[in-house]
Amino acid sequence: MQHTKSPTIEARLSAYLDGEVDENERREIDQLLARDAEARRLLERLKQGSAFGATGFEAVLHDPVPLSLARRIRQGTDINPKQERVVGAPRRQRRKLWRGALAASCGMLLIGGSTGYLIGRTIDDNTPSAPVVKARTWLDDVTDAHRVYARQPRHLVEITAENDEEIRNWLTASTGVAFTIPDLTASKLTFQGARLLVAAGKPTAQLLFKDEDGEVYAICFQRSPTTDDSGRMTEGMRDDLALISWNEPGAAYVVVGPSATANFKDLADAIADVM
Amino acid sequence: MRPAQESIDISRDLVSLLPRLRRFALTLTRDGLQADDLVQAVCERATGRQPVWNGHGRLEDALYILARTLQDEANGRKRVAADPRVGSASAGGATSGDAVQQMMIAMPEGLASAFLLVAVEQRNYRDAGHILGLAPDVVAHKLATARLRLAAMASDTTERRA
Repeated sequence: MQHTKSPTIEARLSAYLDGEVDENERREIDQLLARDAEARRLLERLKQGSAFGATGFEAVLHDPVPLSLARRIRQGTDINPKQERVVGAPRRQRRKLWRGALAASCGMLLIGGSTGYLIGRTIDDNTPSAPVVKARTWLDDVTDAHRVYARQPRHLVEITAENDEEIRNWLTASTGVAFTIPDLTASKLTFQGARLLVAAGKPTAQLLFKDEDGEVYAICFQRSPTTDDSGRMTEGMRDDLALISWNEPGAAYVVVGPSATANFKDLADAIADVM
Repeated sequence: MRPAQESIDISRDLVSLLPRLRRFALTLTRDGLQADDLVQAVCERATGRQPVWNGHGRLEDALYILARTLQDEANGRKRVAADPRVGSASAGGATSGDAVQQMMIAMPEGLASAFLLVAVEQRNYRDAGHILGLAPDVVAHKLATARLRLAAMASDTTERRA
């Protein structure tokens, strides 16, 4: 460490902690610590502050990044991230409630998102707060599965798209959720086939699509005790993946795709309408 | 060999760096909304016509420097080596119940940034000073002050829980 003025003992010990002292300085501080209890206490205080701050700053990374901000960066759209931080309006009423929901969403982001800074919660997680370890949700499992299988171009699905009837019968029987395979050609997505996953301990269907660039999109659903029929969609982001989830009575759904996808919400709306 | 400067597409890298960039921006602005605005401004500049990164060194450092520069401009003044023992927290943007944001906001300007770069992201004093526009010894003083403040906060938190 180069000094332009005499460093305080706090700064010297702090630099000592960081390995930013030369050999002479290190020896001096070692001797100081050996003979001076107050210096040792001060060093412990510095270590304590470092550990406390590091934990807090690490938690900040768990705060979800606004999806629209990511999209704007990757696609140069004119989306204003301040207006699209959270999608929370009920799907069927979104035109009427759009502005209010947006304002409420931004407010909720500030409150809810900032709580996440400390305890590492994600924006789409409604589970009760856990001070130490957050329980995994089915969305965590679905996201992990997506990351693994999206990188398996030759083994992306268990049953390929041409066996659509088998897919419907198999996954309906396995999950207990009746469904229709959506035709997403208007969104330039081609159905690839399906898999059965386990998410939060439950059988979960995963329908997989690819766009023209080979990017993989998934629709996942599982049986759920929810009676929620509001159609409220929750948008989240896990690193480079975007998620939009919603509930229907008896089932939970999520669409997973690259975070840079433009009109991802429109895609989720289109899927929800036919599922 | 890297492609020519003007052909470097940093968009995907930017997205993956967003969480860290936002965290750094928060230490600069000490306000959640302002931090997002700053991140957006940084990304716009970074993907604009004037490259901020020439393909050498860490993209992250170039973005951090840009963020700090933009924040300096926003503050309407050049960052100087302020005494870390003076200064007051920004009033805006604090959200209730957010201990981490409160922690950062409660620290005088520059302390959280220095702490983040060195104690969390493991940069040396020289590199941290380069990003913050500060001499290494000023970084050292800010860091020591930040650690002691954080230690006090840790003690307060422990006492409240007891």
